[in-house]
Amino acid sequence: MKKGLVIAAALALAPTFVAAESFQEAFEMNRAMYGNDHVFDWNGGKYHTNHEEELEARVQATKTNAEDLLAKANAKNKEVAELGFEWKLTGGILKDAQAAIDEGDYQKALDLAAQAKYHARIGIDQYHYAQKNWHLSVPQ
Amino acid sequence: MRKLTTSLCAAGLMAMFTTAPAVADNHADQIALGKAVYMGKSRGNCISCHAIDDPDANLAGNQGPPTVAMKTRYPDKRKLRAQIWDATKNNPLTIMPPLGKHWILSEEEIDAVVEYIYQF
Amino acid sequence: MKIIKTFALGLTVAAASQMTFAADSGFDLKTVDPEADRIALQNYFKARFPESEISDYVNGIYAVDAGSREQWEELEEFPPYEFDVEKGEELFNTPFANGKGYADCFENGGIGIRHKFPYWSKEEGTVKTLEQEINECREDNGEKPLKWGKGEIAQVSAYMAWTSRDKVFDVQIPADDKRALAAYLDGKKFFYAKRGQLNLSCANCHVQGTNIRIRADLPSPQLGHVSHFPVFRSKWGALGTLHRRYSGCHKDSRSKPLKPQTETFRNLEYFQTYMSNGLIANGPGARK
Repeated sequence: MKKGLVIAAALALAPTFVAAESFQEAFEMNRAMYGNDHVFDWNGGKYHTNHEEELEARVQATKTNAEDLLAKANAKNKEVAELGFEWKLTGGILKDAQAAIDEGDYQKALDLAAQAKYHARIGIDQYHYAQKNWHLSVPQ
Repeated sequence: MRKLTTSLCAAGLMAMFTTAPAVADNHADQIALGKAVYMGKSRGNCISCHAIDDPDANLAGNQGPPTVAMKTRYPDKRKLRAQIWDATKNNPLTIMPPLGKHWILSEEEIDAVVEYIYQF
Repeated sequence: MKIIKTFALGLTVAAASQMTFAADSGFDLKTVDPEADRIALQNYFKARFPESEISDYVNGIYAVDAGSREQWEELEEFPPYEFDVEKGEELFNTPFANGKGYADCFENGGIGIRHKFPYWSKEEGTVKTLEQEINECREDNGEKPLKWGKGEIAQVSAYMAWTSRDKVFDVQIPADDKRALAAYLDGKKFFYAKRGQLNLSCANCHVQGTNIRIRADLPSPQLGHVSHFPVFRSKWGALGTLHRRYSGCHKDSRSKPLKPQTETFRNLEYFQTYMSNGLIANGPGARK
């Protein structure tokens, strides 16, 4: 319906815009409006609004699973640190996750590791965005 | 929670009377949480940029527009939620942090702030 | 409707970025033009605060906000940094164990040279700051380096700034060494890029957000930022260096802050001081 028209218009105006709304845009808009655990339609399919890290935390709360996710989160944070875009609180969250493992609270550890990993991933996105767009705020 | 309320309603009129205040309390709790997030420096700290007509608000900043006429400005509450979740969507240069996208607040805290400010 | 809006926004952003890249405004090594940047920044603040004199920007927020200026002038009547300048002079004139002193490490015996920092060192291929050379002077003479943020290093720097008051900043970017321009561009990019969990650039507060309240605080204009350092900050209750402030600001964006005197911060100082070319050195200063 309308969507088809828009896509046609997009193709006519700017050949580089293939879809009017990318999956990423649809995901963010739905997450922004409805929060997590919401189901939305996109290009004929059904999708949910959970971050990949939130799903990674929805495993059996065992020591092994918690340690695995924490290791992934640590690696991701190292990656963003190398780009110079590490966030202030992530290191502390990672430490708290380790402490939760030591105390045997594996679900808490999974949730914290998921948040830290998400922070690191978005920090990496932020770095790439900055490389392309930092100039937009320079007075001309 | 909604399921719980429904079953209680089905249980009888007395149960419904006792449930109604419980629901109101929930909403009051949510608004109290929203207010704490709005005012809290290490939480939302909305007050640092947005004035609000709440007697407990002092030394509000003015980097952003005041929190007034929210129902008029955002007839669709979901749009207001989205603006809090990521204000850079509408203005990439904004000083307003993407409170949801950067997981500064939890989704529950964002819902609570929406409920709190929607009163103003 | 939503889709149309998103699409339109996407198109606008795409068009805007194409335009800015085409406009030759200095965002890469080929086109970067420090002098054009400096003038553009002055014009920006002239338009924002037509009442303020450019030369007054060395006084930070007090150049644009009459309300807080009065309190500040009272504060300056009995400058809180006076003791530090005296202590700095004493430290400056106390010989090292080998009999030499700071005066032996600097041009003109270290007097009246603050405004010549930072500068580009072709030999070392990096930006050199005053505090960096204070510590190099110590190490060259067998003394331990001082901590970067506060205390003695800030006091020595304050004394050296004091002897340089009213001298005009004239930071050079040597044309025969492309690395100098690259360092400037790196500092400029750091200043304007959004970072940290709060997604803030320096410019968010110190260009577009200047003199607009964040709680009870008024962010200062970036023009004139470096002129009055080291600074006695009431919040610290003590004197501190420019890079201590940089670390604090960086942290305020909820980034893991860089350490003082890292290359990035020295490049930032290079960029910021170039922006203040033509203004006078008036350190040490006092700020809220």
